[in-house]
Amino acid sequence: MRKPVSRTPVWVTPLAVVAGIALLVGAFLLIRWYTTPVPPPPLNVDATQRVVAAISSIPASELEAVGQGSANNVIKPVPGTMLTGPNGHPEVFYLGAEYCPYCAAERWPMIIALSRFGTFSGLKTTTSSSSDVYPNTPTFTFHGATYSSQYIDFVSVETTDRDRNPLESPTSAQQALVNQYDTSGSIPFVDFANRYAFSGAMYLPDVLSGMSWQAVADALQQADSPQAKAVLGSANLITAALCKLTADQPTSVCSSATIQAIEKTLG
Amino acid sequence: MLAGLASLAGLAISIYLTVVHYSTIPLACPASAVVNCEQVLSSRYAVIGGSALPTSAAGIVWFAIAAGLVLLRRRRALLAWSSIGLVTALFLVYIEIVQLGAVCIWCTAAHAMVLLIFLIALPRPEGDRVSS
Repeated sequence: MRKPVSRTPVWVTPLAVVAGIALLVGAFLLIRWYTTPVPPPPLNVDATQRVVAAISSIPASELEAVGQGSANNVIKPVPGTMLTGPNGHPEVFYLGAEYCPYCAAERWPMIIALSRFGTFSGLKTTTSSSSDVYPNTPTFTFHGATYSSQYIDFVSVETTDRDRNPLESPTSAQQALVNQYDTSGSIPFVDFANRYAFSGAMYLPDVLSGMSWQAVADALQQADSPQAKAVLGSANLITAALCKLTADQPTSVCSSATIQAIEKTLG
Repeated sequence: MLAGLASLAGLAISIYLTVVHYSTIPLACPASAVVNCEQVLSSRYAVIGGSALPTSAAGIVWFAIAAGLVLLRRRRALLAWSSIGLVTALFLVYIEIVQLGAVCIWCTAAHAMVLLIFLIALPRPEGDRVSS
């Protein structure tokens, strides 16, 4: 007498493998969820305005005391025809993204420096990506903000939000500038009216790690703090480049010994 | 037949990613919060051991050998080879999800081809085994 003793359906093993892999991917997602740092909630309008007001009114004496601080001078002279903006002033063009931690770091000194030549409105707080290096670096976004000045036109493009969703796209003319002056493709990229340009940050974002916006603003009031040395030092470098574009106007900003000394190093 | 097609599809994907790596051709890939080929392919994990060689180049070699094993009908060798491929693919999926927080759809398509080849190479259960 012969009788069948076992019969495994052909689909059982592949299904078991696929189920095992699905479980593994689920475990990966769970690990990711548990290990992703939570960003601080953005500040409300009033609190944001207080922080912006604080960093826009840092005394000239403190900026003078910091000098170049710990900032790395990455500004290079570039050849090209002077770029003018919508109001006929020398145009400062910024390309960055909200997820980018180096952009997050660089926006602080850019706001401080540009605020010496004009006024920002509509700045909002945000943080860099939670999943990139230097996660959740506190910063502002230029998306939706406006800048007015009698000396400078400021044009910004934030390509994505902090989750890398598309936000703004450069025009073909702006893309041409990026292709010409930012051959490495790094962001942030800043073009000072085709006279000077830089890409990357002037200091490492870890100096702002774990800080709230208000804590950064408070630290910037102390000239000997690591944040002041990095951020205000960078702001002085940017200010010097801006003074080069405005023929040292306004004199209240550009005639300072620190700015004049930095201007000489810019070439 | 299906394993051969999967090998060729994986080979084509790997060649495409390698060509994009070495040229200025823009990568055809949507960018969102989760799917972001650029983030994955520009990460330090996109090259082999800190070299300039893209991981996709290893994919070309892997799929080419898999296609050869399919052609030669070396089922056991294909199972061993696809096991190595599957473990590697799972490691890369771990990197994408846990380390980078972004998924590259081209890479995922290649990983799916590895899984398909592995499933095809699995030993089939014997039919009605009999005992007296």
